Parts: sequence; structure tokens; C-alpha cells
Amino acid sequence: MAADVHKKKSWEVSNGSLVPGDGQHTERSESPTPGLAQGTEPGAGQEGAMFVHTRSYEDLTSPEDGAAAVRSPEERRGEPAEQSSMEQISKDFSELSTQLTGMALDLDEEMRAGKEGKLEPSPQTTRRDSVLSGKEEEDVTMDAWRLHRKHVFVLSEAGKPVYSRYGSEEALSSTMGVMMALVSFLEAEKNAIRSIHADGYKVVFVRRSPLVLVAVARTRQSEQEIAHELLYIYYQILSLLTWTQLNHIFQQKQNYDLRRLLAGSERITDNLLDLMAHDPSFLMGAVRCLPLAASVRDAVSSSLQQAKAKSLVFSILLSGNQLVSLVRKKDQFLHPIDLHLLFNLISSSSSFREGEAWTPICLPKFNSSGFFHAHISYLEQEMDLCLLLVSTDREDFFTVSDCKRRFQERLRRRGVQHALHEALRTPFYSVAQVGIPDLRHFIYKSKSSGLFTSPEIEAPYVQEEEKERLLGLYQYLHSRAHNSSRPLKNIYFTGPRENLLAWVTNAFELYVCYSPLGTKAGAINAVNKLMKWIRKEEDRLFILTPQTY
Amino acid sequence: MGGPDGAAGSETPEGSGDPPKSSGDPPGLPRDYELSGKVMLLGDSGVGKTCFLLQFKDGAFLSGTFIATVGIDFRNKVVAVDGVKVKLQIWDTAGQERFRSVTHAYYRDAQALLLLYDITSKMSFDNIRAWLTEIHEYAQKDVVIMLLGNKADVSSERAVRTEDGASLAREYGVPFMETSAKTGMNVELAFLAIAKELKQRAVQPLDEPHFQIHDYIESQKQKSSCCAFS
Repeated sequence: MAADVHKKKSWEVSNGSLVPGDGQHTERSESPTPGLAQGTEPGAGQEGAMFVHTRSYEDLTSPEDGAAAVRSPEERRGEPAEQSSMEQISKDFSELSTQLTGMALDLDEEMRAGKEGKLEPSPQTTRRDSVLSGKEEEDVTMDAWRLHRKHVFVLSEAGKPVYSRYGSEEALSSTMGVMMALVSFLEAEKNAIRSIHADGYKVVFVRRSPLVLVAVARTRQSEQEIAHELLYIYYQILSLLTWTQLNHIFQQKQNYDLRRLLAGSERITDNLLDLMAHDPSFLMGAVRCLPLAASVRDAVSSSLQQAKAKSLVFSILLSGNQLVSLVRKKDQFLHPIDLHLLFNLISSSSSFREGEAWTPICLPKFNSSGFFHAHISYLEQEMDLCLLLVSTDREDFFTVSDCKRRFQERLRRRGVQHALHEALRTPFYSVAQVGIPDLRHFIYKSKSSGLFTSPEIEAPYVQEEEKERLLGLYQYLHSRAHNSSRPLKNIYFTGPRENLLAWVTNAFELYVCYSPLGTKAGAINAVNKLMKWIRKEEDRLFILTPQTY
Repeated sequence: MGGPDGAAGSETPEGSGDPPKSSGDPPGLPRDYELSGKVMLLGDSGVGKTCFLLQFKDGAFLSGTFIATVGIDFRNKVVAVDGVKVKLQIWDTAGQERFRSVTHAYYRDAQALLLLYDITSKMSFDNIRAWLTEIHEYAQKDVVIMLLGNKADVSSERAVRTEDGASLAREYGVPFMETSAKTGMNVELAFLAIAKELKQRAVQPLDEPHFQIHDYIESQKQKSSCCAFS
């Protein structure tokens, strides 16, 4: 077992409150694609962005994980001076191709094993919280428990369990004790443990005092990506407690059992982990919009904008995990991570379907020290259209509830309800609309707007496992493109089951999946055609004119 | 303070100016109730507040997994008491500690509080005193409080005797009964009693002899025993 230990540069936790506009447009080199400089790519907003500017995936991870971007001198020396030399690229490709093939084979085997032996109970069947039958936790001594693809543990610095994805925290307290011992052992040497790689497993540690987050994964994700997911779990916990309260509690009492305050939230964290395995939003650090005719979206947005109140900061309309409209207070920007946490909160509970919910929520990237109050309700029961009104005032429920009523009234008056209903009936578009025969699927992200678009995942990725495999391929391409020591701009890979292409520029990121029968020339042609199509459809696929109150 | 709905509970909750109707609504009336009142469900996490509400609202029992309520859930139901339609705006609260501060903010707007414990959980019963202290601190002085021992259908796991519930209720001068969100036992009664009380307060001046919620409950409630099937 080789422990991958790096010197940690600093422990300080950024308080997470990103000043809007903070550090945007830094270190922009000249764009490799003339005419597609940031802000002019398809999907870029015309009147500024809705979100806090996230330069890229690195932006989400590096400020949190300062040491990640800093390479050791050894690594630097070993690196070729000219990264884009042909030699290097072909070496990368061959490396990539073996790894990708390896992955495909592995997943194949896993899938077969899964089918025959039923080794992995679906997450839904292992849910906890059953009041009727007491705690129906998994037995952590069983093999089935060990076979989960990704375990996640959260513990306090005193080694007390806070959360475990599978199995009860009590039964795992000694395991968590060992994890804390590993962390402390290296810390005593003024060092920090980041990951352990052994036997096909990656054990990744993320330390955010006063919590320690650990993942034990046998997925093909990079260490960086697993750490990124752990950060999401950390933010999820902050969204329930605030950073201030979390720290206050542990300053008062180091051995506090945090589960007391988190009671009832396990479902939300479980759901976040499941969602991250299925939804590319988290990987892309971006938000997907519901495809909607621009005129309808504008009508919805201005109805939302007119139904304002003094205490409102954000009005968000969403369907599934797709954004329909977002109106914000002037000069206040939402961070995609915060929006993802809101999406997750809503999708993790069926109890919002009826009535109106009013709940405190911290948006850790916006301000990790205080609570907002969110009014959550569905517009109509059968319709998958959820309205989220984020207010600064705890006692403003009735005012905010009235905003909802006014919004619905205006929607009715503008007569867009029918069009909205229609759009909700086809929340995804088919890749066939693009008109490129070999094209199976793609993800396109506009960096300046923080929005991405992606068609429905269709055949041959029908089975849940196949869909996860496709996302796994994207994860892999993404990790290669964003590798902190050797980022790639272009990747083309010919595989046995599909051909893949990744193209990352300062303005956009594009990941494409083709049928395995196409050629490289065809694929590049297709990219041009695809970009033209996205440009043509951009006012339907993106929100180009974000509104403020 | 709440917004436009702040006047709810009076005869004209939405300022229409109409006197309360004594019988059914004439067609075309913009709202289908004549009175409204705010009822809050309180108690530890997992005592069955949401199930209790759903049994009343939809006549269904939510079996299976426990879903913790997030924050406060607001729902409406209109009930008819003696020919008067009363809209109950019911606030279902999360029992978890981290939501206490939000619930506090809404105590003083509530006209009635249903305080629940789980008869199979001694802990939830022991916490009732703390809940009552909190209620006295934050709620209006004339708030209607009712103590409910829920999950009375699970008599095999009973951990709190009916007498204990009754004597605690006597001590604080609040009506008490055991309920079951699963079978529906006393669920509707609890809400109806509150609706009657609210109607009484709204329609009649306080000094007139009025509806006695204690007596009403005592005369109507179903007793739970080992063989209570309802």
C-alpha cells in the first residue's frame, strides 16, 4: 500500500463567500479559436452572467485546495518544456486509449457481476430512516457492504462519526477512528494525507476543519474529482448549519455529536451522492436549462421579476434538475454550487409537492455565515415546475408567499402557461435534431454563462449502468482535460464501443460521443456542424438575457 | 410580522368587508370559507406530525419510510363547523433542533397548537415539558393548546401510559387525547375541536358563555385500549 502524501501548503478554510466578480477574467491567454473568445461563444449571456464567474472546473477546486495546483519540483522537471509537442500528445493519446479501454472492460465485468450476483443493491432499497422497522441499516460486516462502489464518510476531528453513506455511523465508529488516526499521524509530522491508492481503490481525504471527509472509491474517477465530490458534501453540510455555526459548535465542545443537529438530513446527503453519479451538472460545474422558446422564457422571467419583494434575493423556477428561469437582485450573483445544492434539496424530498415549505438554508458559496430563507412550492401538483424564492427575512413568509401568488397570476395573464406545459412535456431534446448521423451524445458548456446543454441520453445507453458508463467516460475526458499538471485542450479517442472527442478552450468546453464507425475527419467536421447548430438554437437552450429585479 | 394574511382569524380575513355567512356559500363567492385560523403542529422529530396532518387532509396514511419535514410546511384545509366554513391554515413543523429558530418566529401568529408525542417513545413524552415552556415563551397568551399522544395503534410498544399523558395535560390545563395517524383515531376530532373553538372566538364576544373545548373533547374522543380498532 502506497500512501500518496503531499506537503500541505495551508489549512485555512476560505469562508466561502465569493465576492461577485472576484478574480474573473484573470490569466486569459489568447483564444485558440478566433471569434470564440469568452463571452462570444454560443450560450454566452448577452447582458452579463447570472452566476458568480467560475473560470473553470479548477476554479471550483483550486481555491479550496490550494496545494492541488502546486506541483512538486520533481514533477516540474520531468515535464516536457513544450506541452503541445506532437510527441507528447501522441503519448497522451496512447496512454489515454489504454486507460479508456481498460475502463470499458472493467465496467463490462462489473456489470456482468452485478447482473449475476446482484452484488450491488440499488441505493433506493438501502435507504435508512425507516421509522416503522427501526433502523434498517446495512450490516457493515457483510461482503455486500464492502462491494459498494463509493463509500463516503464524514467525521469530526475528535474522530466522531457524522455521516456514512452506507451502514450506521455507530457500527463504523472504530473505522472512522482509524481514519482520524491516519490524518493525525501525518499531521503530527507537519504533513497531510491526501489519498491512498491500493488494490483498485482510491481512499481520498479532504480536511475542512472541524470536519474530515473521506471517500473510498473503486470508480475510475480521478483523485481530484473524488475530492471535488467530497467538497460538495461539505458544502451540503454547511448549507444546513452555516460555517459559523459549525465552527462555533466545535469550539464550544470538541467532542460534539453533530448527528444531533443533522438529524433528518441524511436523505439529502444520500441524494446528493446519487445525483452526482448521474447528473453531469456537478462535473461541469454548470447549470442546464430547460429547452424553452425564448419568447416563453422571457415572459416567465418578467413575470418572476415583477413578483418581487424587498427581502427577495433570488427567484428561481426549475423543472427536474433544469433551470427554467432565474431572477436575481442587482449585483447579487448565485454560484453554480449553491444552485446545485438547492436543486438537490428539492429533488431529495417529495414533501415539497404539496403545500408551501419555508426553510432556512445557507448558500455556502454566497455567504457561509448566514441563513437565507427559502420558500419552496410546486406551481401545480401534476406539473414538474418548482418555484424557489430566496429571501433574507425569516419572518417574511407571507410576503414571499404572496409573491408566488402574484407570479402565477401574471403567468396566467400573459397566457404562457400552455406553452410552458408543452415545453415540460419534452424536457429533453433528441440528439437527432442536430442532424449528424454518427453523433450519439454531447455536453457543451459555455464558460461565460456557466450554463451547459446536453441532449437526452439515448440508445445504446439505455440501461442505468450504460448511462453511468457514459458519464464515466465524460468524467475521464474531463479529468484529462483539467489535469492540474498536464491539461489537454484536444482529445480524440477511438474506442471499441464509441469514439470520443473533447475540446476545451477559454470560452467553452465540448465533450462529444460518436458511434465507433466514424472517422476522425468526420468527427471534426461534425464538431463544426454541431457548434453551428448550438449557435442556431442558443436562445432556446440557454438563458441569454438574465433578469434582475 | 406577517404580511397581508396577518389579519386572518377575524371575520374578514382578506378584507372583503362581507359579514360572515351563516350558511353555505352562494355561487360566485370569491373564497370558499368564512373564517380562517392558523394551527401549528409541534413535537419531537418522528412523532408523526406530518402523517397526522396527511391523515386529516387526505384521509391517507403515509406508511413506509420516514421523510423528515424541511423547515415548515404550510397547507390549507377548509372544514365545516355548525354550517360555518373554517379554513385551517396548518403549519407542519420540522421536529429537528436545527429548525427551532424558524418555528419560534411563527409561534406568535398561531391561534392553535397541536403538541404531539409518540406513545412508544418515552423521550418524546419527556420533552413535552420543554415544548410547553417554549410555547409559553413564544406563543400568544390565549393560544389553544392540545396535547396529543400519537401512534396509539402500536399498543404493543407503548412506553407512555395514557394516565401519564392525562395527568401532564391536567397540570398544564390543556385538553388531551391519544390519537393514531395510522387508523385515523381522533385525528379529525382534534382539528374539528380547534375549528369549533376558533369559530366560537370569532363569532361571539368573549364574555358570553362559550364552547368548552375540554368538555367537547372528553365527550367525543375515542379511548384507546388494547382492543381499540377504529
